[in-house]
Amino acid sequence: MPLSKVVVVALTFALGGCVTASVENDRAETTGLLAGESVVVMAKSYHQGNETEADYIKCVEKALTRGSSSLNVIPNQQFIDNLFPWFEPRTAPADTKGLVALMGRPGVPAAVKSMGVRYIIWLDGGTERVSQGGSLSCAAGPGGGGCFGFAWWQDDADYEASIWDLSDSESAGTVTADYSGTSFLPALVVPIPLIARTQAKACNGLAKQLRSFISSTEAT
Amino acid sequence: MRPGRAQIQQQIIFICADFDQLIATKHLNRCFILFALFAAGCGSNVTVDTPTIPSPHIDKLPMDVVLRIPDEFHNFVHEENVLGRETWSINLGSANAVFFEQLFGYMFDNVIVLGPDDDALEYTFDALIEPKIEGFEFSVPNQSKTDAFSVWIRYRMQIFDSAGNSAASWTVSAYGKSQKQGLGGSSSLQRAAVLAMRDAAALILLQMNKATKMAALADGPIDLSHFESSAMVREKPKERASPVGLFAIGGIDNATE
Repeated sequence: MPLSKVVVVALTFALGGCVTASVENDRAETTGLLAGESVVVMAKSYHQGNETEADYIKCVEKALTRGSSSLNVIPNQQFIDNLFPWFEPRTAPADTKGLVALMGRPGVPAAVKSMGVRYIIWLDGGTERVSQGGSLSCAAGPGGGGCFGFAWWQDDADYEASIWDLSDSESAGTVTADYSGTSFLPALVVPIPLIARTQAKACNGLAKQLRSFISSTEAT
Repeated sequence: MRPGRAQIQQQIIFICADFDQLIATKHLNRCFILFALFAAGCGSNVTVDTPTIPSPHIDKLPMDVVLRIPDEFHNFVHEENVLGRETWSINLGSANAVFFEQLFGYMFDNVIVLGPDDDALEYTFDALIEPKIEGFEFSVPNQSKTDAFSVWIRYRMQIFDSAGNSAASWTVSAYGKSQKQGLGGSSSLQRAAVLAMRDAAALILLQMNKATKMAALADGPIDLSHFESSAMVREKPKERASPVGLFAIGGIDNATE
């Protein structure tokens, strides 16, 4: 492979756009996980206007199972199916008051216990493009092609995770992750994308904070 | 001389590639029209596999129910043209028939499924349920300007007592939404349809008896005596059924059953 191509490929992978991050938590009660206890990650209902992406949920699920303080995660579809019809988008409890009522229904506590689920993590929020600009032109012909110009765009990823403790049907607290990333696309014949992986970083950042929040036994 | 397909494609590339020009409305329109020419005739056919409803955590109603499945439930196909260019076709096949058989099997002690030509009078039952599809709509990302496919299904549940009187008519509006994954989006539309059917299942399981009071039919046919005096019944004696007409869109009533 010619040296110039190697440089371009290396630059593409080595460079990325800028991402600024803010992750905070608000603890309401003491947490902790015993052996055999699990968590489940759920998206707040789209009936309530939530737009959390399915791939973001999967990313957080995966990220929670990694690292030194990894958690046992029950796949959310398995949880929803085992508790049908109580966690469908229309029927899922909107607050802990609804959770208390739900846990009083016959069969529900037993189903939760059989899966070993201690915490439900409700995700709310999404990633959206907030601004973009620049000028980039590409042309192609029989003799070849190329691009010239510069374009940029900014993505904001704002997510909130509410943690419900099923052992006492109370809210354990919330973790919020606000990430903002700007990507650049300069082009001088060959476009060089400097992509800010805003959503992926928001996923890893939130998951890391959630692992710490749930595993920690610190008092409120 | 008219330009060839390759030349038109090249024009599209040059017109649409410029980032600034793309923002300008007139160029957007040109791009739109040119792409529309190429997209004309494009479409997607989506076949929905029979959804499986998980076993619900609810108490069955102690009733013998007859379920009359209409013909359309065995072969339901819905087509929609998007902006007159793109045709989406969704084939539910016999998904609705299997769906209602499964759902009512979970909901009632005994369910007898009738074919469209079977006579209900040959059976002993407390209630006869006849579901219908009143409306089916969907939107694709092009229309909604989001990344999501959405499906709306409106079912009407006609309930008759053992004497053949209409006891209730209840509309169930269900909604499913799935974000676009992959290039085509067929699997996302399929998932949105399945989610809409699950939404209907949840609503029917939790609200049908509250809305229609159909459990009372286990005690015998409805007493029509108090309807005899109503003007509607006098004018239309053959249609005196429908003492209860309900329409539901909203969420679940959390009140204790």
